[in-house]
Amino acid sequence: MFKLKATAVAAAACCALPVCAQDNADLEEIRQEIQQLKETYETRIQALEKRLQEAEAAAVEAQTKGRAAEAAQAQPSPPAGQQARGNAFNPAISLILNGVYGDLEESPSTYAVTGFADPEKINPGERGFSLGESELAISASIDPLFYGSMLLAFEEGEAEVEEAYFQTLALGGGLTLKGGRFFSGIGYGNAQHPHFWDFFDSALSQRSFLGNNYGDDGVQVTWIAPLPVYVELGGEVGAGRSLPGTFEEDTELAEVDRDKNGPGAYALFARLGGDIGPSNSYRVGVSYLDTSTDDGQFALADFDTRTGTENLYTGDARLYGVDLVWKWAPQGNPAQRNLKLVAEWMQLERKGDLTFDVPGVAQVDAFKLRQWGWYVQGVYQFRPTWRVGVRYDQLDQGSSSLGLNAANIPGVDYDPKRWSAMVDWNPSDFSRVRLQYNNDRSRQDITDHQVFLQYIFSLGAHGAHRF
Amino acid sequence: MRLFLIFTLGAAAALSSAGAHAALNVFACEPEWATLAKELGGDKVSVFQAITAQQDAHRVEARPSLMARARSADLLVCTGAELEISWLPLLLRSAGNRKIQLGQPGNFAAADLVAKIEVPARLDRSEGDVHPYGNPHIHLDPRNVSRIARALGERLAEVDPANAAHYQARTADFLARWGKTIPQWEAQAAALKGMRVVSHHKDYNYLFNWLGMESSMSLEPKPGLQPSVAYLGELLGKLKTEPAEAITRSVYSDPKPSAWLSERAKLPVVVLPYTVGGTQEAKDLFGLFQDSIDRLINTRNPG
Repeated sequence: MFKLKATAVAAAACCALPVCAQDNADLEEIRQEIQQLKETYETRIQALEKRLQEAEAAAVEAQTKGRAAEAAQAQPSPPAGQQARGNAFNPAISLILNGVYGDLEESPSTYAVTGFADPEKINPGERGFSLGESELAISASIDPLFYGSMLLAFEEGEAEVEEAYFQTLALGGGLTLKGGRFFSGIGYGNAQHPHFWDFFDSALSQRSFLGNNYGDDGVQVTWIAPLPVYVELGGEVGAGRSLPGTFEEDTELAEVDRDKNGPGAYALFARLGGDIGPSNSYRVGVSYLDTSTDDGQFALADFDTRTGTENLYTGDARLYGVDLVWKWAPQGNPAQRNLKLVAEWMQLERKGDLTFDVPGVAQVDAFKLRQWGWYVQGVYQFRPTWRVGVRYDQLDQGSSSLGLNAANIPGVDYDPKRWSAMVDWNPSDFSRVRLQYNNDRSRQDITDHQVFLQYIFSLGAHGAHRF
Repeated sequence: MRLFLIFTLGAAAALSSAGAHAALNVFACEPEWATLAKELGGDKVSVFQAITAQQDAHRVEARPSLMARARSADLLVCTGAELEISWLPLLLRSAGNRKIQLGQPGNFAAADLVAKIEVPARLDRSEGDVHPYGNPHIHLDPRNVSRIARALGERLAEVDPANAAHYQARTADFLARWGKTIPQWEAQAAALKGMRVVSHHKDYNYLFNWLGMESSMSLEPKPGLQPSVAYLGELLGKLKTEPAEAITRSVYSDPKPSAWLSERAKLPVVVLPYTVGGTQEAKDLFGLFQDSIDRLINTRNPG
């Protein structure tokens, strides 16, 4: 309905303000305009009210013609009966089912990435049938100020809290604060959960440097600039209780429990993105992560395999990354065909002390190691439910300085590499079946042919289409 | 990195000082609401349209460009009813913009204002990508547009009270023109009463209901699922006992399924604009309805 009185009052109030009152002539003009508006309104409103009554009568008629269930919806209100139920405020729940059949030429038990860190998590996949990581995600607005989310991963008899965080909704000014446990915003692939990956496995660099996903307990602040292009800056402080600072689990020799106040890891990232015409969009990012083993120490790279004894490292770890995502869809409509290109490069620097042969001579000296890796991948959806993808990834041994230990630890002259091809079928937004082949040369001078047939099903709440 | 930061902050400062007297920033999800916001806001609003008529609102991604615009929006005008479920909630959460959150005056969901058809009696994904709040393609009934325009005019005045009189005047003007045109369309479209069509997706049912047309069959076996040859074959059989006069699809739908059925069932395909910008003639909301009706009439009575 029209609020004629409110209009007049608002107009009058507006003109009482000094900004409005320019001079008397203007005021007179405004008064006349208001008078004219009033007159025209009154005739129009009468006509409109008549039309509205007719339209509403017609709408009611149309409703009653429909099914009874539809007629019950004639009033624009939430679906009837919902208010009465105690579970009306239940959070959004979604469950990811993931299973795989693997055929690997080499035994996964011998898997290693020559010259690179070897956390327990790293596993190329199992032979035969196996259940992948099932995930349960629960999320909802907490109140007008906060949003909360938790993501549990179930694997082989254990449940892991992958993410459990709150996030602010009402800070404004482009600022968002996140706290709790969450996957870090560094890089492109890092924040993605396995069911969202475009391939069965993550890139070798992400696997070796970040243990698939670098997540931490801490706080994150992001800020989006008030610009027509997308510019986002983010910073994180965290406990540093995961790779590359430390392993998540204690091993026989490595002690990773941090017994101190204050943060153990810092991360910074910046992103720029936008559209180029209606068909192309992009995002580029740079990231930096600074952490350390703190007082703990752990077995580094595959030094133990190379030397045949146990070695421990303590010191700092710094990671630098650059990432690029490019998406194309004809006229920006990805439903029929679309192409997604991703490239990511990251470098890990470690600096500290290395103890060679812990049970024996225990030779300690300064140590420096710089390694990097990158991948390029493209996924093309060539018809509505089918996609094909290829990926190439490679790691580089980089450079190291071992001091006195140089004589004890033989160097490696091998760059692990892998190429992959996949095809997946997506009958709906909620299901995916994928076949992937890996030509995996992670181990020195060994080519492992790996084939995976995988399903990923999503039950419950509709997930977000992240860029 | 430091240079980058300085550049960003500098640009941000420059923009915020320049933008102090700028128009109200409206983030419109779909073209129909972008057009309506321009009709009602005139030069007092600066409207960003998130998706084009060539894109399907179900399938958009939370692209960086959308994130940037959502961050600076004063008013968000979207359909709601979970049409934008796959991207809008993520934008709202990540953009750091308090004004456009759910429950704020800056969050306008058109579907909240009208009665929805096809509210599912059973919520189960075996029924496809069903919308629990009913069919969200509400803008294709011009009577819905009247209700939404009235509410949007009021909302603009609420969010930007300094220009309230401006919005009220423009809203009254639009409603008067709109109200005059509806009966003209209805008179013209009397020729369409009882016309039976097969649609690609259930995105025209509000239009068909309004015009007294019938669309009992869709090319999609279930909402959101891709048509398969097997299912189209079934439709072909059904059409023998329940004949239809035409197949309709939107510009953004895959042309192949309708072409397949058209060839075998000897039925014409009508490409409808769906929204503003969907065809050359659909330049604004008036053009959208006029062109839809014209195209349907030309199919029923060629020449």
